[in-house]
Amino acid sequence: MAENKTYEKPLPDFRPETKPYWDACKRHELVIPRSKATGEFFFYPRAISPGNDMSEDIEWVKASGKAKVWTYSIHYMGPTKAYKNDPPYVVALVETSEGVKMMTNIVDCDPKDVRIGMDVEVVFDDVTDEVTLPKFKPAK
Amino acid sequence: MATSIPRVKEAREVLKKNKIVIAGIGETEQGKIPDKSSFHFLSLASKLAIEDAGIKKSDVDGLVTAFSLVEHTFMHCTTFADYFGLRPRFFSSVAVGGATAVWMAAEAAMAIASGQAEVVLCVRGDNTLSGISSSGMVALIREMCHAEFEFPYGLTTPGGYALAAQRYLHDFGATREHFAAVAVTMRKHAALKENAMNKEPLTIEEVMSSRVIADPLTKYDCSIISDGGAAFIVTTEAKAKELGIKNPLAYLWGMGQGYSHQYLTSLRDLDQIYNAINNSGQKAFQTAGIGPKDVDVAFLYDCFTITVLLELEGLGFVPKGEGGPFALEGRMEIGKDLPVNTHGGLLSQAHLGAMHHVVEATLQLRGAAGPRQVKDAKVALVHGNGGIVSAHSTIVLGKEPLS
Repeated sequence: MAENKTYEKPLPDFRPETKPYWDACKRHELVIPRSKATGEFFFYPRAISPGNDMSEDIEWVKASGKAKVWTYSIHYMGPTKAYKNDPPYVVALVETSEGVKMMTNIVDCDPKDVRIGMDVEVVFDDVTDEVTLPKFKPAK
Repeated sequence: MATSIPRVKEAREVLKKNKIVIAGIGETEQGKIPDKSSFHFLSLASKLAIEDAGIKKSDVDGLVTAFSLVEHTFMHCTTFADYFGLRPRFFSSVAVGGATAVWMAAEAAMAIASGQAEVVLCVRGDNTLSGISSSGMVALIREMCHAEFEFPYGLTTPGGYALAAQRYLHDFGATREHFAAVAVTMRKHAALKENAMNKEPLTIEEVMSSRVIADPLTKYDCSIISDGGAAFIVTTEAKAKELGIKNPLAYLWGMGQGYSHQYLTSLRDLDQIYNAINNSGQKAFQTAGIGPKDVDVAFLYDCFTITVLLELEGLGFVPKGEGGPFALEGRMEIGKDLPVNTHGGLLSQAHLGAMHHVVEATLQLRGAAGPRQVKDAKVALVHGNGGIVSAHSTIVLGKEPLS
């Protein structure tokens, strides 16, 4: 976990196999892994395709960045003290146009305006020098 | 939703032949009890179950424990065997979250049926309320979500259930009253149990107007945290007779598991959850040779109100989306269509996974549940859910041997 004095919220625990994903985020690009054997996207990123192919031959495909809110919850209590001033904030499970689900935050909108089925698009939050989190905002 | 499940006939033959029973139960005081450690509770609950069965400690030759949220151990079962002074022939730690207690009974049964042990003590105890550190609580919250792809977004455990709850409201046009009604019924039942933590009456309005934790779930949609221990002893009818156990026996009629996902990111739709619950229930039902209509009293995992509705529906007690009205009409209360969690559940009695669900199911089949007794209770079902409605386990228990 990266040291950072101003950002005290949990940062992702990187694994070797997810480096391409986080590197792309840093470039403000959303990539989704796809098994070359089956052509199927999967998420979260893994070293081996979770399909029956069990293939390690994975390509990182630039995503459209478009998604729909599948479900969401306005959080009034965060998981750590670092969230003290954040609530209410929206944690959502979105379905991307590639057909995978991603956990994210819906930002740049009033939590009360979030709806299931709402069109959203990716934005990148450079939370530290090392880590960029993809989040989603209402689509234009 | 009925699916073809393999090896039901074989499972039934094993349970018919072995006549596996719950022959002893024990529960310690539940609540905020700061002067007792996790292993103290485990020991007290074990002692109570052994005394309830009227056997000697040395008659126990198998041990199934779970885990502690306070005292982390790599080998929980043998750590407890050492503390309590047992030298079991069979030992195992089960760790499948809220599906654990139910699967402890199943694991004991499998050990007995395969000749590994004859008298298996299944025990859980923890000082979760008094003993957990704030970092321990964060670790627990984090355990439920993916450390890399979910936790950095501030997802909490109630929040994970809220995500399922919000989608449920959307898919079925359900309302928050439906969730609240579950909490109200659990509170009514807890009021009838001496050893329950929260007994003061609760109304739907109070649930709905209480502090929102993760919309759409409020404080009272979330289970309590408590200190305490509970245990049960699994053996065979023949061994119970040999040991002179006088308790009415609760016979194991069926058991099953079902799996959906670990992380919500891997969830396709609510049907994936329903199918996991149904697979778990159907294995147990088909092995028992019964259906939902034959169940006299049900114990459903109620870590959050939403789970009770998903389980009522997934197990086939009511059609999908109809759990809410069923709860709101009071049909889960004692004396009504399907009494659920007559002890008050995790929402009001105490939180020790489904241990108390198993203990109360046994009491109901003994006819010893006092003011909570369901008239003529002959068949009980217990369902556990671990993760965020991820991992499921079900057992069916009967007052008579499986025939």
